[in-house]
Amino acid sequence: MDTPTFLLLLKGAGVSLLLALAAIACGTLLATALAALAFSRLALVRTFYRLYIYLIRGTPLLVLALLIFYALPALDLRTGPYLAGALVLTLYVGALFAEVFRGAVLAIPRPQWESARSLGLPPLAMLRKVIGPLVVRYALPPYVNVCVMTVKASSVLSIISVWELTFAAREIIERTLAVFTVLGIAAGIYFVICFGLDRVGRRVEHHLMLKGFVGEHV
Amino acid sequence: MIEIRGLRKAFGSLAVLRDIDVDIADGEVMALIGRSGCGKTTLLRCINFLEEYDAGEIRLDGQPLWYRPGADSRRRRVPDQEARRMRQQMGIVFQQYNLFPHMTALENVSLGPRFSQKVAAAEAEDLGRSLLARVGLSDKVDAYPAHLSGGQQQRVAIARALAMRPKVLLLDEITSALDPELVGEVEDVIRSLLSEPIMMVLVTHALGFAREVAHRIAYIADGRIAEIGTPAEILEQPSDPTLKDFLRRIR
Amino acid sequence: MSYARWFTIYGPSYLNALGWTALTAVLASLGAVVWGCVLLLFRLAGGPWGARGVDAYMQAFRNTPVLLPIYLIYFGFPLIGLPWPAVICGGLALVLQNGAYVSEILRGSFKAIDRVQFDAAKSIGLSPWHTFRKITLPQVLVYSIPSLGNQVVLLLKDTSLLSAITVTELTMQAKLLTEQTGAAYEAFMVVAILYLILVSGTEVLFRVAHRAVRWR
Repeated sequence: MDTPTFLLLLKGAGVSLLLALAAIACGTLLATALAALAFSRLALVRTFYRLYIYLIRGTPLLVLALLIFYALPALDLRTGPYLAGALVLTLYVGALFAEVFRGAVLAIPRPQWESARSLGLPPLAMLRKVIGPLVVRYALPPYVNVCVMTVKASSVLSIISVWELTFAAREIIERTLAVFTVLGIAAGIYFVICFGLDRVGRRVEHHLMLKGFVGEHV
Repeated sequence: MIEIRGLRKAFGSLAVLRDIDVDIADGEVMALIGRSGCGKTTLLRCINFLEEYDAGEIRLDGQPLWYRPGADSRRRRVPDQEARRMRQQMGIVFQQYNLFPHMTALENVSLGPRFSQKVAAAEAEDLGRSLLARVGLSDKVDAYPAHLSGGQQQRVAIARALAMRPKVLLLDEITSALDPELVGEVEDVIRSLLSEPIMMVLVTHALGFAREVAHRIAYIADGRIAEIGTPAEILEQPSDPTLKDFLRRIR
Repeated sequence: MSYARWFTIYGPSYLNALGWTALTAVLASLGAVVWGCVLLLFRLAGGPWGARGVDAYMQAFRNTPVLLPIYLIYFGFPLIGLPWPAVICGGLALVLQNGAYVSEILRGSFKAIDRVQFDAAKSIGLSPWHTFRKITLPQVLVYSIPSLGNQVVLLLKDTSLLSAITVTELTMQAKLLTEQTGAAYEAFMVVAILYLILVSGTEVLFRVAHRAVRWR
């Protein structure tokens, strides 16, 4: 394979990574808001949360992407596939992150809540000093997992004509028929990104553990 | 008959069995007693080759078990297939029953004959039913272990061991995990086997039961058979000082 | 156009596509479970190299998107003289990837089996193969039912990716209808609802199966 092709794949990888990082960042924000809804006092709000999760998890990402891709022009929002792609990826992983956060809050042992309350801490301090760190501790491993899933899921956007790594790879193999080399390299790049993310996640976890921030390994 | 000669076994640097020599005659019931950790359970597991041992020889009716002398004077394990065939001459019942939880009582009992001895399905099932009847569980044939009491599970386990038509039955503290009121039903099953020509080796803390069913009792201490004799000799005129102490504590 | 009218006109083609989605999902799920069992067997009985091989396989599939094996088989197999139908290529890719996850699920359940059962299996003279087939596998599969349900749902949703290699399953059908009718997103709305029904049905099925096990 020639250098320009390889560079093309690398460029595609850059786009994939950017898309994934954008979705991870926005998805995390969305998830924080969503997870707060899950613990609302109002049954209606909790039902909204459950419905959102149910709809997102019950539909393939590709179908969501096509829905939004075709619906946006209909709503007369003139956007390219990139914005539609980033938006759908955010909505999708937002639901996954929200479930991670909700699970982490539920995993906090009851005595921790009780002792925090018994100290008479104001709600915000309690959140920052007690609940926050515990959520981080329980959420970190599955959070990293969802980050890896985000990178992989971004490949689906190639089908709605978002030009990224998988799109580039398919374009090249249809032109050159160098199927095994090109897909092999693309797979290698994805592997490096995903495996790397996983390692970084473990590093962070280890680091936090050393600082005594997240306690013993869970 | 079983002949055990010079049996030795260590876990790492910890010697568990040092030089066990003992014979068990046809139809004999032998009880092994001793403090926990003295090696009696390990001895039982070595006889069944659930544990490998470091030196010594075990023979069953003259046939050497588990190891064969190699060309270079080092012994070799017999091939797995042969070990399985040898094992079928023995049955073992464990302290924790160890039934297969996903199988009914009947399936637990007929599994061995069906797949180890290649008995036809219908025949294995008949055998299973008759053995379950024998341990008094005709009405629990289709029950799963989770729905049986400890005593009932242990009786199924005995039937499972008997299903291999073994020459020897090895019983490893089979009543220790049971609630006191369930001990009797399991002991009754063992009593009912006394009229059979089967050899039994039982590891037990229940001295009364040992005295009643065993022909001989071996007291094991520190990996050796410290004293062996009839129940009367061992329980009433012990000569070994640690045995005297052991009996005093247990009563 | 109202959805009711939409459905009376295009209902039959949806039904056909629904059939392909369901068939692919069911067969690929069965294949993935079988392949996962084989991988577990390699891991348990294949010595240190068996375990390492399964680990490498699992990492490879866990860290790459499933579209790549789909394309690899669909575009690659004709080049090596295997011009298989698209649905077979796609199904195979789903089996290979999901099998990797299934074997991990099964490995987790394997740890839940009480070790002493293997002593009991030995003592009644069961061969390693019979021990695996009669003792290990049934328990591992039953303990795995909830996680396998999740995996099957993921696989079911991933069948939508086969639209990228010309398989006329639900997603492809919706695309075709959108192009035919010029409608905006109605076709995808219908398909999304159908997926929701399939996913919910699968979840209910696995919950019922989990509850139906009598021996736990």
